[in-house]
Amino acid sequence: MTINRIVETDSPEAFIEEIEKIQGALPKRIDANPKNVEKGLAKLVLTLIELIRKLLEKQAMRRIDAGSLSEEEIERIGETLMKLENKMQELKGIFGLKDEELNINLGPLGDLM
Amino acid sequence: MKIYSYAIIDSNSKISDSINGLEGVGVYNIYYRDIGVVVSELSEQIQDITQEHILKHEEVVEKLMENFTVLPVSFLTLFKKKDDVLLMMREYYSDFRENLDRLRNKIEFGIRIIWSGETIRNRIIDTYKKSSANISITDTSPEKSFIKEKFEKYKLDKEFEEEANKVITLIDDFFSRFAAEKKLERLKSDNLLLSAFYLVEKERQGDFKEAFERTKRTPGDLKFLLSGPWPPYNFIVLTKNADMFNRKPINQDLAGKNTL
Repeated sequence: MTINRIVETDSPEAFIEEIEKIQGALPKRIDANPKNVEKGLAKLVLTLIELIRKLLEKQAMRRIDAGSLSEEEIERIGETLMKLENKMQELKGIFGLKDEELNINLGPLGDLM
Repeated sequence: MKIYSYAIIDSNSKISDSINGLEGVGVYNIYYRDIGVVVSELSEQIQDITQEHILKHEEVVEKLMENFTVLPVSFLTLFKKKDDVLLMMREYYSDFRENLDRLRNKIEFGIRIIWSGETIRNRIIDTYKKSSANISITDTSPEKSFIKEKFEKYKLDKEFEEEANKVITLIDDFFSRFAAEKKLERLKSDNLLLSAFYLVEKERQGDFKEAFERTKRTPGDLKFLLSGPWPPYNFIVLTKNADMFNRKPINQDLAGKNTL
């Protein structure tokens, strides 16, 4: 048997662009070395906090969507989420991290977020 | 001297074809019971990985695939000595045997589909604006304005995912008719609607390609890519964790396929 491998598409440029975009989005490893160990650790910690923040936010949205929250509760959740987001912005600024950097590639499991 | 491995095969015989691996050195089979691992000797550790190295690894696996059922090993899987190879084979024998049996006469195809995420999002926003079912959060305070904005984004993302799932289900139902197994990755980005891997019986590959041609001709804005046949990179299931199967060849991605 001879293998006749094909790659067939009418839009090669579109696929190359999209694949490159995804591949370039995340580093494969956390960049931690003696010179930037602080930033490397901050990236790791902030990524985990960001994950928890997003989970909290999603859960809140689900509850609002289900109509199970009163106006007061919505306001209180709004205040909490707003403060949390502002604090995250502040910390990202201190360590010079961008939103897209707060993620971890988990190898065969894919990206954390 | 190191031992560089390419693939596990369902044979304990010598490799009759002359196949050259990395550094132009011929490959051979180190057998354990009724299976084997195809290797070649490497004079030193590869320092700078080039595309040539990757393509050579892939080429060896493809040649083996012509005559054997293969479990492709990740690029750069090295052993110090033959005893280490045999130790690994002993430890994973039952896993390897099971996979070789399950994947016999099967090959992998990759399908990717792009849609215009922006167009879909704009359409959802338009529908949402026209709809009377808008959310009832009043933005009477900064906190409520904040949550209202978040909620609108949440609803948009939710609709977007639902729309994506509808299209994916339609397409996947069709391709699944020709496949033994599948793996789907949805919305890796707003535009990359689907990256799918289908395990197909060798004798059905013509049907699968024909199904792709038919799907591609469907009117609409979707862009399709088919690649394969590949060795079954995405369908090796081990009960024990083995890093040697976790990394997929880079050129598979460059060719428009596989998990990123």
